[in-house]
Amino acid sequence: MKLVDQSSQQYRRLWWFASRGFAAVAIVLLITAILTAPSGLQNLFNGLAIGGVYAIFALGYTLIFSILRIINFAHGAIFTLGAYFTYFLTGAAVGFNGLLANQRLPFELPFPVAMIGGGLLAGLCGILIERVAFRPLRNKGADPLLTLVSSLGVAVAIVNIIQLLVGAEIYSYPRNPFGEMPAALNLGTFGGLTQRPIIIRTIQVIIFAVSMVTVVLLTYFINGTKTGKALRAVAEDATTSSLLGINTNFLILVTFFISGLVGGIAGTLVGLSVNVSGPYFGINFGLKGLAVIVLGGLGDIPGAVVGGLVIGVAEAFVPSEYVAYKEAIAFVVLFLVLLLRPQGLLGRAAVQKV
Amino acid sequence: MEGFFSTYGSAIVQMALAGVLALSLYLPLMAGQLSLASPGFYAVGGYVAALLSTQVFTGFPNGSYPILLVVLEMVVAGAISALFALIIGIPSLRLRGIYLALATIAFVEVLRVFALNQPWLGGAVGIYNIPQPFFSATRVEYLLLALPLLIGAMLFVARLERSRIGRAFVALREDELAASAMGVRPTYYKVLAFTMGAVLAGMAGALNAHILNTWNARQGTFDLAILILAYVLVGGSRTFLGPVIGGAFLVALPEIILREVAGAPGLNPAIATFLRDGRLILFGVLIAVSVFFFPYGLITPNLFKRRKKTKALPVEAAKATPKVSRGEL
Repeated sequence: MKLVDQSSQQYRRLWWFASRGFAAVAIVLLITAILTAPSGLQNLFNGLAIGGVYAIFALGYTLIFSILRIINFAHGAIFTLGAYFTYFLTGAAVGFNGLLANQRLPFELPFPVAMIGGGLLAGLCGILIERVAFRPLRNKGADPLLTLVSSLGVAVAIVNIIQLLVGAEIYSYPRNPFGEMPAALNLGTFGGLTQRPIIIRTIQVIIFAVSMVTVVLLTYFINGTKTGKALRAVAEDATTSSLLGINTNFLILVTFFISGLVGGIAGTLVGLSVNVSGPYFGINFGLKGLAVIVLGGLGDIPGAVVGGLVIGVAEAFVPSEYVAYKEAIAFVVLFLVLLLRPQGLLGRAAVQKV
Repeated sequence: MEGFFSTYGSAIVQMALAGVLALSLYLPLMAGQLSLASPGFYAVGGYVAALLSTQVFTGFPNGSYPILLVVLEMVVAGAISALFALIIGIPSLRLRGIYLALATIAFVEVLRVFALNQPWLGGAVGIYNIPQPFFSATRVEYLLLALPLLIGAMLFVARLERSRIGRAFVALREDELAASAMGVRPTYYKVLAFTMGAVLAGMAGALNAHILNTWNARQGTFDLAILILAYVLVGGSRTFLGPVIGGAFLVALPEIILREVAGAPGLNPAIATFLRDGRLILFGVLIAVSVFFFPYGLITPNLFKRRKKTKALPVEAAKATPKVSRGEL
């Protein structure tokens, strides 16, 4: 026990109010700036659409980190796999390169079913990765750093297997995957609030909706089901929860499955928005996901969602003349957050234990 | 021999450079800091050499570029990398473990995007036509520069490991709190280790800019960081020999698979094709497997000690030691 003298307690309370006050003022200023900027609302909506995908992708990282305290560097590869699985489940043919050139599946699934199927297959790959790259090392009690490297090795292998099998070309999903729909929605000017009418691509709305549904389902799973409760117990203390009769290894498998599932769905969503641009599709996204989870606080699930949305919106607000620097935004944010607030936006400072 | 060098000349030079890069990551790791910033400094060094040799020291036709100027560029590149390391290192070395790794990844990526968009760094094309000091297609003459750099770095690190500074690094790695209680200044030594690593990476970059003849933003990326980390961990992160051997091994491996194994006579063509096109798959699997079977890397400090011990131990003494089975315990 540590004795706390009166003055330091007062100082702490003062600091608490000051920091919350500062944060509140900053948020109000930010919202005003967004609403009054020339195309503020338009950027906001664009940012939220991609931010939703960042959020669910980062959730996959964060779920595994919260339980194993290891970053699964194969998550970017899972993301790529999910996008490819969806492509092939829709019955589309492989391109001209690779060992499987011009092959196609004997059936065609409607796009939404294929997307879920792609996610499930990606989840199974997640399970496979846990069995081959994580569990053997965990059973040996190896350094987490080594597990990180073995997950990287698996990522390199997956990316090159994809390249060998289906080639490095660009794959595009079928047009109008959700049936006939207008290409964009015109939201009008919100009664003169913005100078130009706000136009949102339908795909963006779908992406945002799918990612938010995923977030809600995942939140329900973690907070509302018995398995989710066990998962949280394992995240809190794996040894104690296994002593209490929780099958830790099984729950870790479940975590990898869910992580792969959301990663695969994120891959499909990004593939919808742009294209599936080859086996290295997931690498940059994987790095950005790291920025998102640090911003939200490593292992913090609501934090990952907030972090994803914040980074998506921040990227959308990059002025068009500096658009080339957009890729760096996430990393500048990552660097600053690590220096100023390493526990993340929503996190609390960790107490250094000896 | 002639044929050997014409096939493997550039691979051998790259093996030496991989050793230097691996040492640049090993130095901060000696002090317990997982820094993935080496590709950033490597890129900085390459750009320094590229700018100096194409903008400042002009007028030398290809093949007659003085070797001493390359050495000078390497020194300048090392100094500028050190400067970058101080600017980046002092704030970010307060972070620990995975947080530092992430911050250094961020540094590498920001640098890459910056370089990609600067016209004076050549943009996406980069800087090309970097003059060569040697007339050669095989690039094997670059060993004249790469090998001294590697050996110098190895001697430096080997001496460092036995010096006061090296012991301070190891103390920090083993227990930072205890080390600081014993009067080791954590921040000072961490920044020192980080800066030393940056100098090595910068010099390797400067040399490689000449070897490759061109330098662009694709040279220092996250992929390279991962590769260097694999060099260190596959080779062994507890002695300076580990990273060097790991680097040489992992650079040589895909080349050997490509040229020797896949080209072996009498091999099933399907397997040969797989080895040629899928060698990076094997590479990834190998990294994952080697981490499992050699958790301390291929080269460990005990590798040499243990052998001496078993030699010294008489056979009778070994026989006489009572065997305890699990049941008895």
